[in-house]
Parts: sequence; C-alpha cells; structure tokens
Amino acid sequence: MKKWLAIGMSTMLFGSALAGCSSGNEKTAGKETGGTKDEKVEVTLAGWGGNPTEQKLLQQTLDEFQKKYPNIKVKYEVISDQYMDVIKTRLVGGEGPDVFYLDAFEAPALIKTGALESLDQYVTDDFDINDFEKPLLDAFKGEDGKIYGFPKDYSTLALFYNKKMFQEAGVEVPKTWDELREVAKKLTKGTQVYGFGVAPELARLYYIAESKGGKVVTDNKASFADPKVVEALQPIVDMHLKDKSAAQPNEVGANWGGEMFGQGKAAMVIEGNWAIPFLKDTFPNLEYGTAEVPTINGKKATMAYTVAYVMNKNSKKKEAAWKLLSFLTGKEGMKIWTSKGLALPTRKSVAAELGFDKDPLRAPIVAGASYATVWQNGTNLPIITNNFNNQFVSAFLGQRPLADALKEAQETANKEIEGNK
Amino acid sequence: MRKKAWCEAGTGYLLLSPTLFVLLLFIIGPILFAIFLAFHKVQLLGTTTFEFVGFDNFKRMTGDLRAKIALWNTVKYVVIVVPCQTMLALVLAATLNAGLKGQKFFRIVYFLPTLTSSAVLTLIFMWMYNQNGLINDLLQAVGLPTYNWLGDPKVALNAIMVMNIWSTAPFFMVIYLAALQDIPDSLYEAAELDGANAIQKFWYVTVPYLRPVTSFVVIMGLIGTFQLFDQSYIFSAGSGGPNNSTLTVVLLIYQYAFKTLGTMGYAAALAFALAIIILIATLVQRRFSKEESLY
Repeated sequence: MKKWLAIGMSTMLFGSALAGCSSGNEKTAGKETGGTKDEKVEVTLAGWGGNPTEQKLLQQTLDEFQKKYPNIKVKYEVISDQYMDVIKTRLVGGEGPDVFYLDAFEAPALIKTGALESLDQYVTDDFDINDFEKPLLDAFKGEDGKIYGFPKDYSTLALFYNKKMFQEAGVEVPKTWDELREVAKKLTKGTQVYGFGVAPELARLYYIAESKGGKVVTDNKASFADPKVVEALQPIVDMHLKDKSAAQPNEVGANWGGEMFGQGKAAMVIEGNWAIPFLKDTFPNLEYGTAEVPTINGKKATMAYTVAYVMNKNSKKKEAAWKLLSFLTGKEGMKIWTSKGLALPTRKSVAAELGFDKDPLRAPIVAGASYATVWQNGTNLPIITNNFNNQFVSAFLGQRPLADALKEAQETANKEIEGNK
Repeated sequence: MRKKAWCEAGTGYLLLSPTLFVLLLFIIGPILFAIFLAFHKVQLLGTTTFEFVGFDNFKRMTGDLRAKIALWNTVKYVVIVVPCQTMLALVLAATLNAGLKGQKFFRIVYFLPTLTSSAVLTLIFMWMYNQNGLINDLLQAVGLPTYNWLGDPKVALNAIMVMNIWSTAPFFMVIYLAALQDIPDSLYEAAELDGANAIQKFWYVTVPYLRPVTSFVVIMGLIGTFQLFDQSYIFSAGSGGPNNSTLTVVLLIYQYAFKTLGTMGYAAALAFALAIIILIATLVQRRFSKEESLY
C-alpha cells in the first residue's frame, strides 16, 4: 500500500515537473518565428506581458525587425509577475536578457548599480535623438549624464468621466479641482456610486502633493510631511471622509480605478491611456469622455509614466542588441508599436504622423505630456513610495490625522534610506 | 588496528558521500553563507561587493520601525493561530473518531483544504473577502456588520488568520486522528466504570494521552506560522499593506532581499534573528509541555 502510494506520488511529482517543462518550451518556441538559418545571433528580449492586442503588435514589430535583419533572431520572454525582482535576480546570476523593459520609476537605482550599458556610443545621427520628448528621455539619464535607455512609450493621466451620470446629475465636466469636489458630491449616490474613484498611492497623487509648493522628495530623501504637502493632499482625504464622495477601488470590490469606473461605481476616475483599450474590451457599452486633469491653483498638472528599452551591460551580443533596441525605439519600429494607440509614441515625429492629438479620447492624454511630472525621483523613490502608500491609507480611512501619518511615514522612510547607505 | 578503524570510517563516509554532498551543498552551505551575509553589506548587482560591517546589520534592527511592526504582526498571528488551529484540529479529530456514520466521508472532506495549494487558496479567499464577495454577503444576510477585508488595516491580518486556521487545522487533525486510534479502549472502559461522562473522558483520558502529539503539533504550528509569507504576500501584492498590517517578518526579509537593492546583508541578518526567535519559542514550548522523550 505504502509502496504504491510512494510510486504514485513520485510519478505525479515527476509528471507535473515535466508538464512545467513542456509548457515553458512551448511558450518560447511559439515566439521564435521567421528568419533564415545561417550564422544566426539570438538576442533575448524581456518584458512584462500586456493584453493580447499588445502582444500581437509587439510580435508584428519583432517580425518586421527580423525581416530587416535576417541574421538576428529575437527570443522574446514574458515575465508576467514581479518583473523587477525577476530581472534583478537574473542580472545578478549573469543570466540577464540582452534587452529589456525598464520603468522610469526603477531606472535611477538600476543605472547606479552599473548593470546597464550606456548607449551614447551607439547612437548615430540617423537615430535622431532630439526627436524624443525631452523629459521622457531625461528619465533614463544617469548621474553621469549618459543615456541608459530609450523610452518606448508613455502615458499621462487624464480625467475619465461617465457621460450618462453627468447628464443625469446635470453637471459640467470640472475644470478645476474645487469644481471636481463639488461635482463629485452631486454625482455620489450613497455607497453605490461614488463621484470620484481615487487610488491612494503616491504614483497617482504625486502631482497633487506638490501642487502647493511642497516637495515630496528633497535631496533623495522623503520630505512629504511638509505642511504644504499635507495641505495639498488633505482635500483627497476630506472627499473620502467628510463629503463621502470619493472611494478607493477595493471599497466597492474593484481591483483598480478603470474597473471601478467601468462597473459604474465611480462617475469620475483619473487614469491613463491603458484604461482606454481596457474599457473598450470589457465595458464596450460604457459612454464616457476624457478631459485634462482639473487644475489646482490655476495650474495644470498631471503625471507621466514611461518605460524604456535598456541593454544589459554583460550582454555578449551588444551589436545585435543595439540593432534591436534602435529598431524598437526608432521611427519605424515605434510607429508599428504605437499604431493602435495602446501606447503613445515618445518620438515627436511619430506622434505627429499618427495624430493621436486629434483622437477625442486620447487628446487630453497627449496634451498632458507638455506639463506632466515624470514619475521618477532619484534612487530612493521606491522606498519613499512604499512608506507613503502604507501610511497614507490609514489617514485616508480616517484612522488618524493625515499630518501624523505622513510624519511617521517620512521618518520611517528616511531611517530606511539612512540604513541602506 | 587504528588503520583499520580509519579504513572503515573512510568507507562509511565514502558511502555517505552523496548524501553528505547534497547536505553540504543545499543545507549547510547556504546556512553558513547566510550567516556570512548577515555580517556584510552586500551589493550583488553590477559590481558585486562584500564589505564587512560587523554587527551593524543587527544594530539596525533595533531602530527599524518596520521590523518592529513585522515582528508584532507575526507574534500576534502566532499567538492566535497556533492555539486555535490546535484546538480545532483536536476537536475535529475527536468527532471523527467517535464512530459516527459516514466518518470516512467527512475525513476526506475535512482534509481537502490542506490539499489545495496555499497560493490558490489565497486567491480564492481574496474573491470571497472582496467588498461585494461571499463573506460580506453572508454577514449581511444574518445582520452582522460587513468589512473591507482586504483594504482595512484593522481586519486584514484577521482575514489571513481565519483562512490559515481553516486550511491548516485539517492537516494536524490527521495527526491527531492517528494518535487517537492508539488510545487503548481499556482506559475509556475504566473511566466509564468510574462514572465519567463523555466530556470528562475527553478531558482526563484523551487530552493527557495525546500530550506528546500535541507537543509536536504545536511546534510544527509555531514554525509554520512564524514563517507566514505567501498569504500576506498575495493579499498585499508584496507590500505588506494596508498600513503595514499584513507585514510579516518573512515578507520584510523578502522586501529587503529582493525589492531594495544592496540590502541583502540586512535581510540575512533579519532571517538569522527570526531563526533565533523560532528556536526560543520552541524551547519555551517544550519547557511548558514537559515532554522531553520524543523529539
């Protein structure tokens, strides 16, 4: 009996291990398409997966690349979860991909470690570096002034509003943050529909936090307990606690703002370009519009998020890796990649050609690019963000005053930064 | 003579060598390396550097607020979960051993939660804990207040506790069940002759007889709960939020090791400290149960 059990168990274990193997092989095998067979160089490209349409577009771009350079085979690897952890671990182990995605938020710390190849030496006039939106390109410059990555796309934040709810409540699209607060009150229906869906995270609140002249980060250290920052963020907390016109997604059982908005549980959310294809796929009947983020103190502000392709310093195929990187971020590759508007082009020439500034849903997002704050600030922003998010929630839920929460978060963050030195 | 002894020992070690090699490579080596790391400042990415810093990593713990919160959360979790799951396991085992109809069927049903992967279990529970999920619906149906289980710092850890008790108690139940079948019927008969009722029989015969097994269950429970990681990791998407309420020691170690760059040494020091805490907790438990013979 026991013996049989043991045999059964080991076959099961073995079987599952094999199953793991084969499915892994299939995944990579599926991506390796096209190209001739003589003297091939294989370049690995790693990124996080996107939705199926995005995957198809990227594959199309890669196919185009392999047609142009038949001697280079691109092995595309999807790291679907905990992307940065996987990348860091692989880089440490010397198994890093040749070219990979890097979020601007994580860039300064990774550049500082010296794990990335600086790209200035490869750039030719043909590549036309001045074509990139400058703030987005600057996000990938190291302290030495060298460029370590070229942004592949970006998105800013814009106000998404539910047209039907606005009509029923008889209100106009808010132009200022004060108007937004008033409108939100009118749009709220108890705990069923909130006027404003808000993500209580620094990534989404950074531009609001700095709107009254305070600084979230000073000299690579947290400084968000500044009374000016507290004053700027207080309205968000008040909207949730006093007006009861704002809620975070998990309070209505949604995972993120786009879902909350799509389910009709929020009349307004502030989201980025990524929400547009999501809403189209998941909630095709939703009637909504977008507008620029309301002004605070008469000033326009929003966030910009960008991701670049970077090269591994320990790559053994730098020539081929650069060809791939420069194709993907070059005019030709970027045009294919951004053609459907799932991501916005970081090159001015491509943007002008594709004309997303005339697309009614995307125009406010494109317009934001000129005044947006890029989501990045020094090597310690990840630590600062983690501490801010953790404590801000407690103020948002009314468990203690905002000033106290932020003060404690700032102290914890700075202690951690000090300890890491 | 001496040479022969050496020869014999040599052959013995030669035969043992595959096992020894595996032990050294995968268990003893990593432990020693972790201790080495704990006394260094380690930068692995880019240019790999190890800088000896003595006890700095351990000193840093005393001033680390997040480490204190993590330890407090973990201790709270252990203190609530271990007794609950042990008692629940005992009660379940006792009922299943009472000779009820269809007890084999119930044995299987009770054991099912343990067979589910804890990651899958956590994801399913996250659905049920959703603001509009099953659990809130049930609470509402019987007129109890509902909670934002995932988003409210006050209840997030409790949500994980409930889930964990539910999923691990059956495992210990099986251990108890095996032990229960070892209790000789003559003891119960004697108790009956003395006029003991069912509760007295349970309390004065079953429980004392199971003491060594209880000791084992509690030790395993302590070790398991101190190492809480996957549930709180999935619950909070790795952040330990909301408001650090699901931050456990192992999750903090993970964050320092893999999230922030260049703190591998501090993470190793924290892991070392956790090992010592578990050791102390186990020793204290053994002192209480006065059971020396078995392990």
